[in-house]
Amino acid sequence: MTAEMLKPKFTGARVSRLEDARLLRGQARYVDDIAVPGTLEVAFVRSNRAAARIVSIDPSAALRLPGVRAVWTFADCPITIKNRGFQVEQPVLAKDEVRFVGELVAAVFAEDRYTAEDAAELVQVKYEALPPVLDTRAALTDAPRRVHAERPNRFYHKVHETDGFQQAFANAPRKLSLTFRTNRQTGAALETRACLAMPDPASGRLTVYATHQSPHNLRAQLARLLDLPENQVRVVVPEVGGGFGIKAMFYPEYAILADAARKLGRPVKWVSDRTECLLADAHARDAVHELEVAFDETGRILALRDHVYGDAGAYPFLGYSGAVGEAGWATDMLTGPYKIPEVSIEIDCVFSNRAPTGPYRGVGGPIGAQVHEGAVDAVARALGMDPAEVRRVNFIGPQDFPYETPTGGVYDPGSYRESMERALALVDYERFRRQQAEWRKQGRYVGVGMCCFVEPSAFAESEAGSIPYEAASVRMEPNGTVTASFGLGPTGQGHETTMAQLIADQLGIDVRDVVVLHGDTDSAPFGGGTGGSRSGTIGGGAAIRAGQTLRAKLVKMAAHLLEASEEDIELVEGRAQVAGVPARGLTLRELARIAYTDIGRLPEGMTPGLEVLVRYQPPLAATYSNGIHLAVVEVDIRTGLVRVLDYIVVNDCGRLINPMIVEGQIHGGVAQGIGSALLEELRYDGDGQLVTTSLMDYLLPTSHDVPRIRVEHLETPSASEGGFKGMGEGSLIGAPGAIANAVSDALAPFGVFITELPIRPQDIVHWVQTGA
Amino acid sequence: MKPVAFSYHRPRTLDEALALLRSEPDCKVIAGGQSLIPLMNFRLSRPGALVDINEIEGLNRVEKTDGGLRIGALVRHQALAEHPLVREVCPVLAEAAGHVGHWAIRNRGSLGGSLAHADPAAELPAAMVALDARFEVASADGVRQVPARSFFLGYLMTDLAPDELLVAVHVPAQTGRAFGFHEFARRPGDFALAGAFAEVGPGGAGAVTWFGVSGGPERCELTFPEDAAAREAAFAALVEPFDPGQDAPYRRHLAVQAAERAYQQAVGGRG
Amino acid sequence: MSEVQTKVRIRLRVNGAEHEVDVEPRWLLSDVLRHQLGLTGTHVGCEQGVCGACTVLVDGRPERSCLMFAVQAEGHEVTTVEGLTPAEGLSPLQAAFQAHHALQCGFCTPGMLVTAEALLRENPNPTEEQVREALSGNVCRCTGYQFIVDAVLAAAREGRS
Ligand SMILES: Cc1cc2nc3c(=O)[nH]c(=O)nc-3n(C[C@H](O)[C@H](O)[C@H](O)COP(=O)(O)OP(=O)(O)OC[C@H]3O[C@@H](n4cnc5c(N)ncnc54)[C@H](O)[C@@H]3O)c2cc1C
Ligand code: FES
Ligand code: FES
Repeated sequence: MTAEMLKPKFTGARVSRLEDARLLRGQARYVDDIAVPGTLEVAFVRSNRAAARIVSIDPSAALRLPGVRAVWTFADCPITIKNRGFQVEQPVLAKDEVRFVGELVAAVFAEDRYTAEDAAELVQVKYEALPPVLDTRAALTDAPRRVHAERPNRFYHKVHETDGFQQAFANAPRKLSLTFRTNRQTGAALETRACLAMPDPASGRLTVYATHQSPHNLRAQLARLLDLPENQVRVVVPEVGGGFGIKAMFYPEYAILADAARKLGRPVKWVSDRTECLLADAHARDAVHELEVAFDETGRILALRDHVYGDAGAYPFLGYSGAVGEAGWATDMLTGPYKIPEVSIEIDCVFSNRAPTGPYRGVGGPIGAQVHEGAVDAVARALGMDPAEVRRVNFIGPQDFPYETPTGGVYDPGSYRESMERALALVDYERFRRQQAEWRKQGRYVGVGMCCFVEPSAFAESEAGSIPYEAASVRMEPNGTVTASFGLGPTGQGHETTMAQLIADQLGIDVRDVVVLHGDTDSAPFGGGTGGSRSGTIGGGAAIRAGQTLRAKLVKMAAHLLEASEEDIELVEGRAQVAGVPARGLTLRELARIAYTDIGRLPEGMTPGLEVLVRYQPPLAATYSNGIHLAVVEVDIRTGLVRVLDYIVVNDCGRLINPMIVEGQIHGGVAQGIGSALLEELRYDGDGQLVTTSLMDYLLPTSHDVPRIRVEHLETPSASEGGFKGMGEGSLIGAPGAIANAVSDALAPFGVFITELPIRPQDIVHWVQTGA
Repeated sequence: MKPVAFSYHRPRTLDEALALLRSEPDCKVIAGGQSLIPLMNFRLSRPGALVDINEIEGLNRVEKTDGGLRIGALVRHQALAEHPLVREVCPVLAEAAGHVGHWAIRNRGSLGGSLAHADPAAELPAAMVALDARFEVASADGVRQVPARSFFLGYLMTDLAPDELLVAVHVPAQTGRAFGFHEFARRPGDFALAGAFAEVGPGGAGAVTWFGVSGGPERCELTFPEDAAAREAAFAALVEPFDPGQDAPYRRHLAVQAAERAYQQAVGGRG
Repeated sequence: MSEVQTKVRIRLRVNGAEHEVDVEPRWLLSDVLRHQLGLTGTHVGCEQGVCGACTVLVDGRPERSCLMFAVQAEGHEVTTVEGLTPAEGLSPLQAAFQAHHALQCGFCTPGMLVTAEALLRENPNPTEEQVREALSGNVCRCTGYQFIVDAVLAAAREGRS
C-alpha cells in the first residue's frame, strides 16, 4: 500500500513529550494533590518488632483525642489476603502475630494527618517477643522457628538440569567457584505510595485513586478482597511519580482504605511517608548465587552450576514473591548472551522476618547479569585472557538465531558481539589498556568493566499481570482529532507521546492531535498495565494495529467519496488524497464529520463513527533486547571510594519509537545501577530492625554520582508489530555488573574480585590492605 | 512524619528571646531548623515551645575585630562560605562551610545551630575547635565567654544551658600557622565519614582536629614528621583511642587519610 | 496537649500574592502550600530534607519547605514552581527541560526547576560542574541527571544569546 511506503514522520523521531507541559508548570495531579472535601487522613501503627505475638491492642487513648474518627484493628477490618499458591495468609492488619518491622497493626482515621499521627502514638500495643527468623540458611531447616506456623519456611524449591550437564561438568578441564550476593535494595520512587478511596453515595460505587502501575489489576484485586463486582469499583491512577516495580504490587493499605471508605462513608486518604516506604514497600534483590563454572583453556564456558538462595521476607505479595521472581529471572537468563550448553540450577526460597520482597526494575536481571558477567571475567582472570576475548569465544553468533537457551528461552535475533565491539571502539579499548598500565605505575587504580546483557521483554507473564496482550481504543472525534485509550500504567515513561507517535503515523496526522488516556478503569480498555518492559512492544503493537484499522476505514470512506480505488488513497498531513493528485482529496476533519453526522454519504453498509478497539498479542512469548554497558571507574585505594569516570551503553531494543525517551530510560537505569553497585543497601540489625529508615541512610545517587553516559543504538528488529523490543529494564540489568567488573579490574593488582553488591568502601580498603 | 504540637514564639530582640527561654518550660531555640525539624518530623525531638531567633536583628553579621572576626550565630552556612571577610581572614572556615550539606540546606542552616547541635560528624564545630574560637553565650543573667575547646562535651552535648543562647563566635586571626581541611563522605554533601583540619606552624609544630570519628571534635597537637610514612604512623597513633561507632577501623583509617590530605593542603597553601 | 497553642492566623506572601491562613505552628510550609493554598506543584518526597522535591525559594534562595514551619515564612517572599510559570506556555528554563527530556515522572521536576532558576539568576554562566553541584541536593530517581544538566546549560546559553 502506498501509505505504508511513506517514511514514518514521528516513529523513530526525537519528539518532545506531550505530557511535559503540565508537569513543568506544576499542574500535574498526583494522588496527594487531589483534594476531596471531608477527607479523613490515615496514619498506621506499624510493628516495631520483627517477630512477636500481639498480646493486646488498646486504642482507647487514641480514640479520646479530638479529631480522631476511628481506630481499626483486624477485628474492624477482617480482610485476609489468601495467597493460595504459597499457602500463606496475610491479614491486612496483623492478627495475633507480627512478622516484620513495619507490618500494619492498626489504622487511625482522623481529620488531618497531624492528628492521625498524634493518635497513632497513643495506640498501646503489647507484644510478646518471638525469636526472629533472619538467617536464610538456618531458615531452610525451620531454625530457629517457622515464620508461618502452618508451613515450613522453605516455600519454593526448583531444580533444573540439562541432560548433558553431569558429563560436561565432570569432564571440564578447568573449574572455578564464586558466591555472588546482592543485598536488599528497593525502587524508592520519589513519589511515595498513596491511596485515596471514596464512596459515591449516589451510585454506591467505590472510587479508589492510587499510585499504581496496573489499574485493572488493582481493581480486580480490590473487588475480590472486598467481595464487590468489578463494575462497582473504579480505580483511577492519576500522575505517578515513578514506579520501578514497587507500584505494580497490591498492598494491604489499599484494602484497608477501600474498606474504610465504605464503612465510614467518607473519603479516606493515606500518603506513605519515606520511612514507611523504606520499611514496607517491596524490597528487592537479597539473593545469594553459589556458582560453579566449568571451562576449557580457550576460555569456552562448558557448563554452569548455580544454587540460588532467596529471601522472600515475611509474606509473598498477592500472586507474586520477589524471591521467586528474582531467582527465576536470574537463572532463566543465566547463560546471558553466551552459548553455554549445559546448566544445573537449584533454587531455594524461604520466608523470614523481614519485609516482603517484590519487584524492582529488572527483577532478577541485574543479579543474573552480574553472575554471568562475573563468571566470564573470572574465567578471563584465571586464564590470563582479556575479558573481551573470553566474551568473543562464547557469544551466540548471528547464525545461531533463533537460539534456544539451556533454560528454555528462545532468543530472537540480537547484536551480541557487534554491540560489544562497538563499545570497545567507543572507549578505545587498546589505548585504555595501555593507559591503565601507565596509571597503575603512578598508583592510580582505574578499571574497565563490561556487562553484556540480554533483556527478555514483553512476556506473556510479568509482575504487572499475566496477560499477554494489550488493548488500544482509538477514536477519531467529529473534528478529526484523535482520542486514544490504553490499559497501560505509565509512571514516567512517556506513553502519552510514544503511543501518539505511532497512531499519528498510521493516520497521517500531527502527533499533537492525538490525546492518549490511561489510568481510569471506567474509560480505559482492560489491560495489563506497565511492567516487565511490555508497554512499548505490546502496547505499541496495539496502537499500530488500532491505527491501521481506523486508517482502513478512513481509506475506504475516502475512496468512496473521491471515486478512487482504495489502493490509490494515501493519508498525509491530515488529508486523505489520491496519490499523485493531492488536489483530489478531503481533510480528515471532513471525513470525520461525515462519519458521525452526514452518514448518508458513507459507503453502503458501513457503520457510522470512527472508533476501534484492538487487542494485540505479539507472536513470540518474549522478545529479547540486548546491549552492553561499559564502565570506567577509578578506585581510591586509600579511602575505598569509587568514582565512575566514563560510561558507555550500546543498546539494541529493535526499532526505536523515540530515541530521546529510550536514552532517558537508559540514563535512569544506569543511575539506579550505580546506586545498586555502590550505594544502596537496606540493612537489618541482628534483631530484625531495619536500620536504614531514611534517605540519609538509604543512599540514592545524586548528580555528583552519575557521570555523563554515552549511548549508541543498534536496531535489530523483533518480529512484533513495528519491530520493537522492550527496554525499560535493561539499563538497570547492565549497570551493576559493569560497575562490579570495573572495580574488579581496577583492583586486579590486589587480587580483588567483586562478588557482593553494593560494594562497601570499608571492604575495599580491607581487601587492599590484606590482599584478600 | 509530622511534628508534635508546640507553641511558637518569634521574638524581635535578644532580650525578649532570653526572657522566653527562661520563662517557657520545655522550650527550644530554632534557628535554621535544618537539624531540629528533621528530628521533630521523626518525633525524636518534642519541644513544647519554640523560640524562633530568625527575626532578631543583628545576629547574622560578620565583623572584623581587633583579634580576628566576630561571626553572628545566625550567619547561614552559605553566607559563611561566600563572605569576603571570612574568605580573607579565615579561608579554611569558608571552605568547610561549603561542605555542609547541600545548597538549600546551607541557605538556611546557621553557624550557631550547627555548633549548638554538635553533631560529631559536623564540620563547623571542629573548625571552631581547630581555630580556637571563643563563643559568646547569653542568658537572662548576662553574657559569658566559652572557649570552643571546652564547649563540646560529647555526642550532641554542649556546655549550653537550656536557657542560654549562642550569640556569636570570635575567631582569632591566624598568624604564622597554615590550615588545611579535608573530609570523606559516601556522597558529596553527606555528613562526613571522617574529616580533619590540620594546622601547621613553624618547624612543623601544629595540630590535627578530627571530626566524625568520636563523640565530638578531637584536637591533637603534634609535630608533623617530614616523612610521609612517619606522619601516617603518627596520625594512626593519635586516632587509635577514638571510637567512631560503626565501621570503626575503617573510619579511623579514613581519619588518617583525611589528616594527611589536610596537612598537604596546609603546607601546599603555605609554600 | 491542651496548653499548646492551637491555630494562629498568618499572612503569607507566595508568588507575589498575599494570603491569610489559619495554621497550627507545627504545620510544615510544604503542607500549607500544598493543602491550604492549593499550590500542589511543590512536592514532598521525604520530609527529611534529603530529596529536594519540596524546594521553594524563600527571599529568592532555594530552601526546603519541609524543613520550615509555615509560621516562619511570615514576612518573607516565597516562590514556588507556580510562581516561575508564565500565564501561558513555558518559561525558557521549562522549555529547555522539555526540549532536553529532563523529566520523566515529573515528581522531582518542580524542585529541580526552582533550584536551577535560582542558580541561573545567581550565575548566568555556570559550568557543568557548578550545575551538578547546585542540583546535588535534589534527587531524581528517573533521569540519571544528564538531561537535566543539559537543559540547565542550554537555558543558560539561551539566556546569554
Ligand atoms: C539533608 C541534610 C544534610 C546535612 N548535611 C550536613 C553536613 O554535611 N554537615 C553538617 O555539619 N550539617 C549538615 N546538616 C545539618 C545542618 O548543617 C544544620 O543546619 C545544622 O546542623 C543546624 O543548624 P540550624 O541553624 O539549622 O539549627 P536548628 O536545626 O535550628 O537547631 C539545631 C539545635 O541547635 C539549637 N540551637 C540553634 N541555634 C542556637 C543558638 N543560637 N543558641 C543555642 N541553641 C541553638 C536548637 O535548639 C537545636 O537543638 C544537614 C542537614 C540536612 C537536612
Ligand atoms: S520533602 Fe523536603 S527534602 Fe524531601
Ligand atoms: S523525573 Fe522522576 S524523579 Fe525526577
